[in-house]
Amino acid sequence: MYSDLIQSLPNVIAWANIAALVIGVLAGIVVGAMPGLSATMAISVLVPFTFGLEPLVALGLMAGIYNGAMYGGAIPAVLLRIPGTPAAVATTFDGYPMAQQGKGGYALQVAVVSSAFGGMASAIALMLLAPPLSRVTLLFGPAEVFWVAVFGLCSIIFLLGGNVTKGLISACFGVFVSVVGSDPIFGNDRYTFGQLELLDGIHIVILLVGLYALPPVIDLLESPLKTENSAGDRLGTEPIWRTFPQMLRFWKTWIRSALIGIWIGILPGAGGSMAAFMSYNEARRSSKTPETWGNGEPEGVAASETANNADTAAALIPALTLGIPGTAVAAIMLGGLLIHGLQPGPMLFRNNPDIVFGFMWQFLFGAILLVFLGGSLATNSFAKLLKLPRPLLGSVIIILMLIGVYSIHGRMFDVYLMLGFGAIGYVMDKLRFPLPPVVLGLILGGFAEENLRLALRIGRGNWMVLFQNVTSLILVALTVAVVVGPMVKHRLIDKKKAESKG
Amino acid sequence: MHNKPTHRFLRAESITAFYIIVVAAAFLIPTTDLAPLSALLPAAMLVGLILLALVMLITDQRKAAAGEEAEAVVKSPKRVFGAFGLIILYAICVDLIGFYISTALSLPLVAFIFGYRSPVGLAIATAIVLLAIYLIFGVSMSQEFPTGLLWAK
Repeated sequence: MYSDLIQSLPNVIAWANIAALVIGVLAGIVVGAMPGLSATMAISVLVPFTFGLEPLVALGLMAGIYNGAMYGGAIPAVLLRIPGTPAAVATTFDGYPMAQQGKGGYALQVAVVSSAFGGMASAIALMLLAPPLSRVTLLFGPAEVFWVAVFGLCSIIFLLGGNVTKGLISACFGVFVSVVGSDPIFGNDRYTFGQLELLDGIHIVILLVGLYALPPVIDLLESPLKTENSAGDRLGTEPIWRTFPQMLRFWKTWIRSALIGIWIGILPGAGGSMAAFMSYNEARRSSKTPETWGNGEPEGVAASETANNADTAAALIPALTLGIPGTAVAAIMLGGLLIHGLQPGPMLFRNNPDIVFGFMWQFLFGAILLVFLGGSLATNSFAKLLKLPRPLLGSVIIILMLIGVYSIHGRMFDVYLMLGFGAIGYVMDKLRFPLPPVVLGLILGGFAEENLRLALRIGRGNWMVLFQNVTSLILVALTVAVVVGPMVKHRLIDKKKAESKG
Repeated sequence: MHNKPTHRFLRAESITAFYIIVVAAAFLIPTTDLAPLSALLPAAMLVGLILLALVMLITDQRKAAAGEEAEAVVKSPKRVFGAFGLIILYAICVDLIGFYISTALSLPLVAFIFGYRSPVGLAIATAIVLLAIYLIFGVSMSQEFPTGLLWAK
């Protein structure tokens, strides 16, 4: 089972793949360091440019960006008290007080070492857990695959928190977009309105760029960030090899936070922010000096940064094996895999072991590279990024979006379609509709429909074919649990509240 | 979309729910022409959208009736609509007059309008971005960009 993992290693250490990883990590740190830009946005802008690249080079770029951005978010969190990414919110609690005390450099070094530790732990978890899980999923037939898709959609809607109605609307919209184009079995046109460009359906990248890249650009132009109060001019950075021995006392926090991050990463819909908060609270609870937390305790930075990076590769465990992404970035990475002809899910490990295992190695190497590329000298340079003029940055991203989407098929129709999705995405973002269910709906919609119709054909039109074996019933039970579980939990909380008031 | 609604039916969520219902209902019309199995999933999704949007509309109207104020959707609507307008204008210009000319004009224009006012910085940034695009995409990746419908005619 793990022999494929070892066999894929030589491919990964090819120069082109390592270079892609280095560029990815650097680009990720830059993007993460820019408040308002996120790994999700960076990868969605990048995906179209990877068309012509070898799959491992493209995936290396994505893995690098994801790892880099999760650390990069700590730079403005520490220096400005503005989290560069949502997952870096907990880093501000102790990182910013440290920067005010002239220890910003040390805070960033703790962040980079902790991020690297979290990333490595996450990559190892992915390597150990994904292969056996993929073996189980190989036994699935069309009915089970249909239920996996339904389970994936339900888990991201109901476990994501927030408004369930809006989550369901997002998912219905995503699934509806997936049916545009030729019918996969009958071949008749659906909702193409005579447009030849829509015959092949709507390319996932067009939707991704529109939904995830355009809204942040509009935000960037709507309210330019002021960075005058940056603590970046007095970082007090010492070489990382001198400060590293002081960090070794965080070993317990690193291990605990890594485990929390991995667990949260595997759960669909949770994500890095939740991992960082849970880990921070847990580390504070078990600290001997909890009163120092919030006033510049480096262990607080270690806890949140380890957890938000431990979430990265772990989120790919359900994504690669079942086709269910744990986070928005994982959903976009699935899109990245699809454009290289790699269908996430049970067959991926059997058909493309060199690529899928190579991708896992790239996560591990990306995490290790963080220490070298985000070390002391680089940390000082990255802190200066905060002074880049944001309107200019916004303009450049708009151009990159246009180039990326245009280059898919070489036609402006896709650009206008992307702008349409961008407008929808902006409204959804502002009205707090979750975006991951849209992407997942698009990815799983076609997949679910094809397998549902295949199962019905096998069962000669009898719908009971969907409930005729144990695996299907287990998946149905899990889906029901995911839907009903949060409702029961809310009821119980409300009941407890009412009782305590009474 | 109204930022500060003056009437309960002009709340952003209510308007959005209304649009979802109208658009989903409109898409149901071509669905009737499809074969039953082909129409199964899209029809389910469209009906689902209509029902869910109705729930959203009723919930929002209940909130309005209870006196709950709608949150401001955008901080500065002028800047948001301006940004959208400029991006659409840029795409149309690329289509009509070509990629390089449009980019050379729109990059400094957008950055200038949204607050970056250094002429030297704008000129340098525009030159660097155009050169980088030409070398990376045009030369090394042989990517062809729109040359402009106007010139083609």
